[in-house]
Amino acid sequence: MATIIACYKWVLDEQDIKINPGSLDLDTSRAKSKISDYDRNAIEEAVLQEEKTGAEVASLTFGNSKAKQSLKDALSRGPAKAYWVNDELADKADALVTANVLAAALKKIGQYDVILCGEGASDTYAQQVGPRIATLLGIPAITFVSEMKIESDKVIATRKIGDCTEEVSVSFPVVVTLLPEINKPRIPSLKQVLGAAKKPTTEWSIADLGLTTEEVTAKNKVKSIKGFVMSRKNVIYKEGTPTDKVASLVASLTKEGVL
Amino acid sequence: MAGIWIYSEDTIIAQQLITLGRDLAGQLQEKVCVLTIYEQEVQSLIAAGADKVIVLKGDNVWPESYAQAIAAQTTECQPTLLLVGGTLRGKDLAAKVAARLQTGLITDAQSVKVVGGLLETERMIYGGLAVCTEVLNGMNVITIPARAYEVPVADVGRSGEVVTIEVKTEDVMAVGNVCPIVRQGVDITSAEKLVCVGRGIGKQEDMKLAEDLANAMGAEICCTRSVAEDYHWLPNEAYVGISGQKVKPVIYLSMGVSGQVQHVAGIRDSKLIVAIDTNENAPIFAAADYGIVGDLYQIVPLLTEAIKNK
Repeated sequence: MATIIACYKWVLDEQDIKINPGSLDLDTSRAKSKISDYDRNAIEEAVLQEEKTGAEVASLTFGNSKAKQSLKDALSRGPAKAYWVNDELADKADALVTANVLAAALKKIGQYDVILCGEGASDTYAQQVGPRIATLLGIPAITFVSEMKIESDKVIATRKIGDCTEEVSVSFPVVVTLLPEINKPRIPSLKQVLGAAKKPTTEWSIADLGLTTEEVTAKNKVKSIKGFVMSRKNVIYKEGTPTDKVASLVASLTKEGVL
Repeated sequence: MAGIWIYSEDTIIAQQLITLGRDLAGQLQEKVCVLTIYEQEVQSLIAAGADKVIVLKGDNVWPESYAQAIAAQTTECQPTLLLVGGTLRGKDLAAKVAARLQTGLITDAQSVKVVGGLLETERMIYGGLAVCTEVLNGMNVITIPARAYEVPVADVGRSGEVVTIEVKTEDVMAVGNVCPIVRQGVDITSAEKLVCVGRGIGKQEDMKLAEDLANAMGAEICCTRSVAEDYHWLPNEAYVGISGQKVKPVIYLSMGVSGQVQHVAGIRDSKLIVAIDTNENAPIFAAADYGIVGDLYQIVPLLTEAIKNK
């Protein structure tokens, strides 16, 4: 029976982030958190594989103390248990640190056949933690996967990479990063939500993982994070009949020379 | 030997990165070195501006299997920077190289600049909502999207150093059955005009509204993520956004697109953005040059007729 571990990141919901018009600073004070969109595909795929092959599924995350609420969310989506590296260093982590921490946690868990990750996080979308983890564990990574199946001790997957697809097969253990098209994450049922509270969780801090300071220090210095403002003409026709509005738009587009 | 290093499994992108590499190398007074797995491309890379080309010769044709070899070369020669072409294969390899080197990896940098002797990068975060500026500390890997820079004019008279290294590739994966993705219609990333369909279109039959308008305009059709992934009205290759295609047409005209930040991130390089939607407060209007607040079922047929009659 395969052991599958689905990794996820607990991120701010970008829909709730406001941009301060003057300073362009981000106002995250009202932002709720969520399981990164693409990582929901990773959890869903782990559960789908469990349904097909009877694999054992756990979730793994690295986050600060606020990520505690993510455990129930993750578990309600189907995994049997959850691992959480709880450390305030997560706030300053880059992908290097995140991958080092997750790889160390996976070593501590000790048993893994298939490690599933989303193709990127919905906040940073750096698309690197999955293949980094594989390299750190010395195992292969199958990235950008649109279909996968598990056959005895192998993963057979279709990668979709730009202008071609390719089918690859690799023996366990392996990291697989998933494209969002691979599945459609289910909404947890009330029963699943209630059941999640009873599932076992394991919590570690970075100190439990035996990493050096260098391994958990972000490499580069973030100089600024500023809201992106697109400077556009914003000529919007709201008043008048549909015919009037269309006439105004056609006149504008003709003047722009784009028709 | 320090230097600005460049790698892409796509030689055209490697040449595009030489444009950036030469600019940075000029400011930092360094040389441009290109790594390639294709021996036959050496001259074209030198003609494009490489001072040195390192040919990695291995038995594997699968580009991803060269990560270890590139990491080993990088460790040995300690370049200032490694620029990698931001294809998906390139991103896979870049992450593996960065993990081996225990260094930073800036994904899809929009700009790489020298500021006060240090390298600074900008990239989008939060689905395109914000721009993160970072000051790089030591050697980093940076991936750069395709077509971000022009291919330099070839100077066939240039000469450069060529080094061929036999390398060991990672052969852990069985790769087979490589199929080209057959695109329905043209590649939207190079389309001059685009009509974009969002969830404001209620049923698949109504895609005809978009098709008629696209025909009148001479435009191609693209869509939002949910139209492709949830409804499958168009192939996945037709969706625009941060995880889909990034487009840069002369005119992008959307109908029934609310304008989520992830979608807008994929259209921001459009010359002119036009939006039609019923919801006056839809974020797409903030990103638009021109727009009509109205029912697309009324507006679009009128617009199609008006354009036809021009």
